[in-house]
Amino acid sequence: MNYQFHWNVLWTGQTGGWLLQGLLTTLHLSILAWLLAVMLGITSGALRTTAISLLRWPAGVYVEFFRNVPLLVWMFFWYFGVPPLLPQALQEWLFEHGVEFWAGVFALGVYHGARFSEVIRAGIQSIPKTQFEAALSTGLTVLQTYRMIIVPIALRLIVPPATNETLNLLKNSSVALTIGVAELTFQTRQIETYTAKAFEALAAGTIIYLVLCLTIARLMARVERRVAIPGLIARGSTDAA
Amino acid sequence: MKRYRCLWLIVIFYFASSDFISAETTLEKIDKNGALIIGTRTGSPPFAYVNKNNDWVGFSIGLVEKAIVPVISKKLNKQIKLEKKESAPQTRIPLLTSNAVDLIAETMTDTQSRRDSVDFSLTFFATGAQFLVKKGAQIKGIQTIAGKRIAAQQGSTNAKIIRDRVPSAKLIEFPDQPAAFQALAQGQVQAYTNDGIQLAGLRAKAPKPDEWVVVGEFFSYEPYGMAMRKNDSDFRQVVNVGLMDAIASGLYFEIYDKWFGPKGEVPYPLSPETKRFLQMQVVPK
Repeated sequence: MNYQFHWNVLWTGQTGGWLLQGLLTTLHLSILAWLLAVMLGITSGALRTTAISLLRWPAGVYVEFFRNVPLLVWMFFWYFGVPPLLPQALQEWLFEHGVEFWAGVFALGVYHGARFSEVIRAGIQSIPKTQFEAALSTGLTVLQTYRMIIVPIALRLIVPPATNETLNLLKNSSVALTIGVAELTFQTRQIETYTAKAFEALAAGTIIYLVLCLTIARLMARVERRVAIPGLIARGSTDAA
Repeated sequence: MKRYRCLWLIVIFYFASSDFISAETTLEKIDKNGALIIGTRTGSPPFAYVNKNNDWVGFSIGLVEKAIVPVISKKLNKQIKLEKKESAPQTRIPLLTSNAVDLIAETMTDTQSRRDSVDFSLTFFATGAQFLVKKGAQIKGIQTIAGKRIAAQQGSTNAKIIRDRVPSAKLIEFPDQPAAFQALAQGQVQAYTNDGIQLAGLRAKAPKPDEWVVVGEFFSYEPYGMAMRKNDSDFRQVVNVGLMDAIASGLYFEIYDKWFGPKGEVPYPLSPETKRFLQMQVVPK
């Protein structure tokens, strides 16, 4: 390969600052989108397990509609499709206040909410029906049963697939560069523009994503061990023995 | 852990060994494959784009086809084919260095920092950055963009200049022209900056060209060159001879007329200074 590596472009000039800025934007975007996704996921995931079809049906439509359309399309939808539906003054205000970031949060959050929903539904359905009936027989209402018994148990069961979804969300946040959000991948491209050092910039981005994802995976593994319900699920790790 | 160490070794060996894998020169590679592979764009009219008939054409592609390929064919004593691959600002240098393409022929500005990574042909087109705005907009040039929302293309030199010269402008960078133009049409941004000739091309292709105007003096200098792998002067010589012969014989101006002439895709008359500049790049035989 006829290419000379100049790794020092990554720490000379403004590049370090850009990478940091990109990292912060990625985290900011991902955290807000994650919160939205978890809220939507828990709500629609729980609704999909209820006995009332009037509640089950809209949640099902939400999941199938949002998870079966590519994320890129959702980015364009929230950025190009939604603002024209709003009143002129609000549009102008949004355009002045970084609409691309919020479009990114909604696109990512609503899309991953649909995926989280399935994870949570699976968690709830893995809880024996007797658990639900026992809760009702103590005098709790259906809503209370969900809120205090079923959802908390489900959340403790689904930590591994939820980790998976979280990592996907973080990596998918890079799609937001298509609507001009200056996140991490965007910044690596910027470094390429200024220095013409594409391999170095890509390598830096790769390593940052890798470190981020490994850190999250480690943290979630710790959470998993901490919240595991003894006896309910056989843990694969050695500490179960 | 041992397994990971093994993986790292493979990665390191890959990078270390790649030097002797591709010891052949570009001309040898073209000779062997019987084809010159260029990296070019699909959405930059009229330099390189897919037209209504689904043909991949343009001024840059035409130059390679008519001016450079014949010179290579003559040099290698056999008819060379032209193959096209898509390139983008972020991928064009890696495409070259990984040997996936032999020449970048699109709208790439020759810059000093890019010359650290690749070599350039002589300049085949010169333009500068301007703004595309809705007719009657307040923006008249780079002096009037403070605090305004400006779209630019990711990886372009224009964005860099705006960031340095007017830090208060709100710069939003899009990966391609269509997205930037859509944002301009809807009002997410108030102006779109790119090389003047590209804006003229975009305007000509817009549903209602009269609604848009290209404004402002050139606030940058964008000499387009064709990029190739570094330190391969034989190939570079062939490319440059192709371009020089075309300028000297008038073939260049015929191709120019086809795309930028009064009946071309984007009418954009060649200024006398630019014509003179092109001719002065031609060194004697």
